[in-house]
Parts: sequence; C-alpha cells; structure tokens
Amino acid sequence: MAKGGTGIMADTHKEWLERLEAESRKKQELFMNDIAAKLRHPRMTEKPQHPFRGSPDFWKAFEWSVEERIEAFTDNFLSVGGHVARLETMEEAKRFMVEKAEEMSAKYVIRQNQPELADLDLEGALPESQVSVWNTDPGQYWRARAAEADFGIVIADHAVAYTGSVTVLSAEHKGRSVSLLPTVLIIIIPVDRLKTRLGEVLSAFDEAGRENLPAGIHFISGPSRSSDIENDLTIGVHGPGIVYALLVG
Amino acid sequence: MAAGSKTESSVKARAELALNDEFLRKAVRFTTERLRGGKKKASEEHGNWEEWRERGKQIRLHTIAHLDYYLNLFVDNARSNGVHVHFANTGEEAVKLSLDIAQHASAKSVVKSKSMVSEELHLNHALESIGIEAVETDLGEYIIQLAGEMPSHIVIPAIHKNRYQIADLLSKEAGYTLPPDTTALAGFVRKKLREKFLEAEIGMTGCNFAIAETGSIVLFENEGNARMVTTVPKTQITLMGMERIIPSWEDLEVMATLLPRSATGQKLTMYMSGITGPRREKDGDGPDEMHIIIVDNGRSLQLGDPEFQELLNCIRCGACLNACPVYRHIGGHAYGSTYSGPIGAVLTPSLNKNIAEWDDIANASSLCGACYEACPVKIPLHDMLVYLRRRKVESGNGNKLESLGMQGFATVMGNSSRLGGVLRLGKLGQKLVVRSGVIKTKLGPLKGWNTYRVTPSLPKESFRDRWNTLDQELKQELRQMDPAMQRRMEELVKKREQERKDGKGGNGHHG
Amino acid sequence: MKVSLFITCLSDALYPRVGEAMVRLLAKYGVSLQFPTVQTCCGQPAFNSGYWKEARDTARTILDAFEDSDFVISPSGSCTGMIHHYPKLFEDDPVMLERANLLQSKAYEFTQFLVQVLGVTDVGAHFPHKVTYHPSCHGSRILGVKDEPIALMENVKGLELVPLPFAEDCCGFGGTFAVKMADISGAMVTEKADHVLETEAEVLVGLDMACLLNIAGNLRYRNEPVRVMHLAELLYEGVK
Repeated sequence: MAKGGTGIMADTHKEWLERLEAESRKKQELFMNDIAAKLRHPRMTEKPQHPFRGSPDFWKAFEWSVEERIEAFTDNFLSVGGHVARLETMEEAKRFMVEKAEEMSAKYVIRQNQPELADLDLEGALPESQVSVWNTDPGQYWRARAAEADFGIVIADHAVAYTGSVTVLSAEHKGRSVSLLPTVLIIIIPVDRLKTRLGEVLSAFDEAGRENLPAGIHFISGPSRSSDIENDLTIGVHGPGIVYALLVG
Repeated sequence: MAAGSKTESSVKARAELALNDEFLRKAVRFTTERLRGGKKKASEEHGNWEEWRERGKQIRLHTIAHLDYYLNLFVDNARSNGVHVHFANTGEEAVKLSLDIAQHASAKSVVKSKSMVSEELHLNHALESIGIEAVETDLGEYIIQLAGEMPSHIVIPAIHKNRYQIADLLSKEAGYTLPPDTTALAGFVRKKLREKFLEAEIGMTGCNFAIAETGSIVLFENEGNARMVTTVPKTQITLMGMERIIPSWEDLEVMATLLPRSATGQKLTMYMSGITGPRREKDGDGPDEMHIIIVDNGRSLQLGDPEFQELLNCIRCGACLNACPVYRHIGGHAYGSTYSGPIGAVLTPSLNKNIAEWDDIANASSLCGACYEACPVKIPLHDMLVYLRRRKVESGNGNKLESLGMQGFATVMGNSSRLGGVLRLGKLGQKLVVRSGVIKTKLGPLKGWNTYRVTPSLPKESFRDRWNTLDQELKQELRQMDPAMQRRMEELVKKREQERKDGKGGNGHHG
Repeated sequence: MKVSLFITCLSDALYPRVGEAMVRLLAKYGVSLQFPTVQTCCGQPAFNSGYWKEARDTARTILDAFEDSDFVISPSGSCTGMIHHYPKLFEDDPVMLERANLLQSKAYEFTQFLVQVLGVTDVGAHFPHKVTYHPSCHGSRILGVKDEPIALMENVKGLELVPLPFAEDCCGFGGTFAVKMADISGAMVTEKADHVLETEAEVLVGLDMACLLNIAGNLRYRNEPVRVMHLAELLYEGVK
C-alpha cells in the first residue's frame, strides 16, 4: 500500500473505488449540465441527428477485387518495411514459418491459442525451439513469456488493403502481447478476411455493439518505427521490428 | 494551474534566441519541410482532400455542438465496460486524481505514452514530487524528459535536437558513450525502456479519440509504446481532453484518414488501438484496472463562444506547425507554452482566458493563413488570432502607444482629404531621409523594418494627384467594349441581385 | 455599368504606377474605370491589430466610395480580401452589414476580374524575360486566386516563368507584424528573397504591393538587382 496518506490504509481498494465512483457520478451531472448551459441548450438526452456519420458516400461505395486488394495490401505493407508472402495453403504457411525460425534460430516461439494454429503442429515441426501457447497455463506470467519470445505468431481477424493494415482482437486465447513483445511478428491473414477500406472493418465494431467488443482492438500496419531523431527512420523501437504478413488462400 | 505554463520572457525575446540558434532553425526547417511534403503527397494520393476535410470538420462540429450528449454517452458506456471514469475541471484536479490512483496502486513507477494533456498538467513533476518515477516512453518524449525540456512540437517533441545532442543525453543515461547513430540510439532506448515497461505498476496514456457509442478510447502511434503501456502494467490511466469525442467507429475512418496523413504523411500509423475497458476476466494480459480522467482545464470556456468553439475540433495533428512560416523560423519553445505553433498561439490564451497576460503570443503571426489551409478540420486559426487581438484591445489591455497610433490611423484614413494632406506632408518630411530614392534610416519607427530592408520614398505624385490627367487622357481614346464581355458583366450583376433577393447574398463569386 | 478602381492606400501613396498600368490595360478592353476619391484604406492594419472601431471608421470610406458601383477592382488580393472581412466587422450593425455583403459580392482582385469577368487570359503581351511569381497569401488563400495569374503569364510571349521554391510561404510582411515582430519578419523576408535569388529570375512579379514592397526592400538592402513588379505593370509594359 502507498506511503503516508491517512485513510488510504484504512479503506479497502474496493471501497476506495466505490467512493471515487460516487464522486464521479455526482460530478458527471454537474459537468454535463455545465456543458449544456455553455452550449445554450437544455441537457440533451435524445440521440441527435448525425447527418455526417462516417466517410463520404463516394468512399463507402468503393471496393476492390480480391486480386487488387492483395496487390494493394502487399505494396503498402512492403512500403513501410514489412514483409509479405502470398501462400496457397496453411501447410505452406507452416513451411514458411519453420524455415524462418530455422534461418533466424528462433529459440522461443509464442503463438495464439487458436485451432488453426494448433492444427499446424509447430511444436512438432520446431524441435529446436520452445513453442509456447498463449494463456494455456494460469500459473505462467504470460507477458514475460511473450517478451522473451523471438517469434510471435498470430492469425489476423481482419485486414485492410487500402492502408495495409492487419487487425487483431484480444481474447482469452489471443493475447495482445503476442503481437507486441516478440522480436519478430508473423501474421497469418486468410485472404477472405482482407477488405478494401478501413471503414469496412470499423463499422463492424459499431454493428457488434459495446457488449461484444474485446478489450483490445489493434490495427498493425508494419514494423514498429520512429522518426523522432532527426526525422531519420528507425525500425523496431518498442514493438516488433520484423513483421511478416502471410496472405493465405 | 494554467493550461500550459508560461515562461517569463516575451515571445519576442524567446524568438530572438531561437533566431540566433542556427542549428535549431536548420533542424526545425528540415523536419517541418519533410512533414509538410509528406502530407502534401499523401493527401494528393488519397484524393478528394477537400471533401474529406469538410467531412472531418462536420463530424467534429456536430460532436462538439452536442457534447453534453456524446460525452455523457461515452462516460456511461465506459463505465459499463468496467472503466473508472473521473472528471477534472482543472489541471490541479486531474493531477490530484492521478496521484491518488498511483498511490492506491502502490506505484513506484509509471510508464507513459505520449500525451499532450499530461504535458499540459506537468504531471511528471507532480509524480516525482511524491516519489514516483515517471518514464516517458515515446522516443521523442523520452529525449526531452532527459533534457528537462518541454516538447517543441505536438507530434515530434524533440524536433529541435540533433543526433549529437541526443547521443550526449542518452550516453549520460547509459553511463557509457553511445555513437550519434540513430539505430544505436533507438536500440539503447528499446532495451532500457523494455525493463521499465515490465516493472511499472501503472501505464498512462493520452487519448486521440474516444468513441461515444462504445466507450472505447483510440490511440494512434508508430513505436508501439502506447500498446506497451496499455498491455503490460496492472493499472492503466488515460488522460483525455473532454473534447476528444467522436460518435462512432464509422466516424473513426474519417479521423484515421485525416490524422496520420496530416501529421506525418502516413496512410495510417503503424499502430491504431481501440481499448474498450480493462482486460476481460479470462484475458491473459491488459490492465486489471482502467481509469479515464476527463479533463476540462479551460476547454469548456470555448463552448458557446462563436469565435472560438471550433478550437475544440482540433485533432492535434501538428500540420499547422509544419505549414507555419513563423514556427519554421523560431521553433516551438519560443511560444513559451505546452502547445506551440498556430494552434498553440490560439489555444494557450483561450484555455487560460487571461488575454491581458498573454502579451504577444497572438501577435507572433503574419496572418498568412497557411495554418487554416493545412488544417484537416478547417479551423480558421488565422481569424481566431485576430479575434484574440481584438479582445485584448477591447478589454483595455492593448499597447498604449499602438492604441494612439491606431486612433491617428483612423483619423487620417477616415477621411480622404486628410489622407491627401498627410501624403503631401510626407513628401516634404521625407526629404530629410531619402537617399537615392530609398530610405535607410534605422531611427524611429522604421528601425525594425530597415534592419532587414530599405523603404521606398514617396513618388512625386500620388495616384489621386495624378487621376484627373490620366482620366482625361484615357477618355479620349476609350474603345468600345466587346459585346460578349458586356453581356457577361450584365449577367453577373443580375445574378448577384437575384441572389440578394433570395437571401443568399454575401459570398459573391468567391470560393 | 459602373466599374470602379479601388486603388488601395499603398498603391495610391507609393505605387501610383501600378494603378496607372491597371487603368490603361483595362481601357484597352473598353473598361472605363471610375475613381471615387473618397476612398482611403480598407482598414486592414487596424482590423488585424484588433482595433476594430478604427477599422470600421476607415472601412466606411470604402463602403461609401463604392456604394453605387457594379464592379470594384483592386490591385491587391489582400485589400480585396479585407472586404471579405467586412461582414464580420459590421456583424452587429444590420444596415452596415447589408452594405458590407453587397460590396463583398462586387469586389474583385485585378486578375480575377480580367480572367473571370472579362474572360481574358491573353492580353497579347510580349515580355522576353525570366520571371518568377510570388503568390501572396491573402489573394491565394482568402480569394482563391491561384490559376488566374499563371494563365495570364503563360500567354505572355517570351516570358519564361521559373517556379519559386516554397512559393506559398508568406514573405513575412503581415502589416504591423513586420514592425512588432521585426526579427521574425526579417528572417522570413530574408528567406523569401533567398528563394527569389535561387531562381535566377530577372523579375519578381506578384499581385500585392505590400508583399512586393517587403521583398523588394530586402533585395535592395542586399543590393540585388532583381526587378520587382506588379503583374499589371508587367502586362501593360508588354502590350505598350
């Protein structure tokens, strides 16, 4: 517990949070009333008409063919220093990963706990590496496992051609750390999840609704980078510096 | 606490320092040019930029005009997601809340991703004052934290530093000499901060956008540090300006189209993360506890003010800084506050509402309008600067000498015969100072001007002196106007009159 | 049809040759310009400095001068742009606001009038020199005058138009800014003049005498012989 403050030791964490919440709810009313007063209208409780919701119509109508999407995704991902491979089957994806792991002598590999990945049996194919599967043992400190990993392997939930982005969603079996902490990130993108526009993926979250959103929705568009020193591009500042996007199917 | 503290000297004095720092000017010019070029290329490549800007503006206008509804919706949804939401009317309140949370988490250290609100609150000092280490993890922010400075650019905090200065700073931190090589320097920071991420109890972020309908916050970044901060520590605190709201994820597409292109010329930042509450019970990572502190600190003062409400539309892309010819020469620190450049020149005095004190910040602009042209949500910053100047004058805080001068100006210019008289007097008066057709004296009011230029002398005759002769001469040789031209002019007049009758008048023929 | 000249105080006092070139050039198309002498200054120096009362006192002379004009033509994008601020300046005075709106719909910058109204892009000029063009901020940003001057110059025989690096950057004039923030303004005009010199153009042309006064002042200060002209002067010299 924190130092010094009287009362801090006395109440439990839960009580403290409850007290904060009570204060916050009280303040919420004042805060909103103050905004309404300054805007010179009565407190708005009904949803206002939102005539300019989302992108312009001409944009919403824009769509590429599968081949165009693959081409655009590839160009975009390569242009920011990512790597792309176009593969027919998951078997090919497996071969690709095994080759890369051997080539880079990946000692530690961590993957999401997804059936498509389990089917590949990377554990058997990489006898030299220690392959861990996210969140399979509650006793583990999984963030540390991911941090020490040379390779992180994930399957994309969505991808966007126009921006060259991949979307990964968090869940019990899908850690955020797996796409963040390892040195090398491998993302498998089933081609049928590759959309044209960012908006196609985003509006799905509106449709899903609050209750169905995961805690973490992450769009990844290439390797971690910074231009903070003399506008000189540096790759791999905090996140993975090497990222492979495997377009499968 | 004021939103963005103010240093004592004047903008003029600070600008002079910057103007004499050739390195700083070179660094700022180089990077802003790159960013400006990147934006131009990216917006042209994307196409229909004006329509996107207009859409961005409309979404922001709509949200701010109904902020009580959307902010309330956001808060309710965020609570349903399990977030602890707090409100801070002032910077002090936000700091107090942050410290309280940090103490309850028994925090020894806080890792932070880039947050301008946190800069505005000077939170690092506050954390350190109670013995909690605050670590900036954005590379640029980390550099200026080590240097003990404020960011000098909204997007590129250490824009004013070169690799040699950075190598010195980081070497001191490392305890050994690092080469002035970008990759080596960034490599050191990666290693050093990895440890910090893994040991910190609290991760602190800013917030680019907050989605009202789902209670999610959205972060744009390139390094991955904001993801670290929201993934690894047990407690997450997000500081959010009360105006960061957009209604939906669909609206995020517009912001995601405008923000990265305007900031750095990217199609999208390397990471864009939507965080909806703390980790779910069975998740293996993400924070156990998540707090969002909603900060007013002067923002709500703009609400209902027709001249300044649009200021809240700002998405903090920094494009106005990169476009600004004044910023280009003096850098960010000359503005003397957290927010620099054209947005800072308007935001700082507006958040503080102490126009009298904010002596000359609003004067440090030639009103060229490059900021407005660059702004992805079309905030008329150049007009706002004039409104600030007017408010200062009309509140009786204007410069006395200037005020006399302006009265004199109005007296002369309010009447054409007085203007004629003054011009004749001027021709007499200038005889003392004109040398070969120009004036070079550095005395009196021409001192500043003539340090960089010469002034032309008044010609023998002014245009009004000359008019009668010219008019008579031309009348004798005047040609007949081409009937097509004549018709076009008549039609324009008719159209104008019609529009006036329809009540559409005012904007005329111009864009 | 009454077409009036809004000379602007700067051209009136310092650059009557610009007004004369404009008047003579337009006369060639049968446009007989009137010059209402009650006009003084658009009021911009006071307006931009925050002295709106003084700005209104001055702006009234412009509203009075052009009350019954059908078209108002000026050699300055900035002063024409100021007329666009009149509705804001008089927003609390319904009578003046009405007049301000009307004047705004009648006001044209010189090249705007030539190209948009008269439909002229080729004045038949000959000007065998290397020229660079500085697009002034207010003309291009407030009025949107971007293509008109380029079209006019492209049709001048012998004229070689060299692009000015960072053309869209402000020259640093900014009215009272040049005096109040003299060092910043000085840095800006010095850089602008550097860019002009980089083009190795013989002539710098523009649409606003304030900016040109600023840039020319710096060039003269450095003893650089670049000739600085308003586009109206260039065109008129080319057809003479």
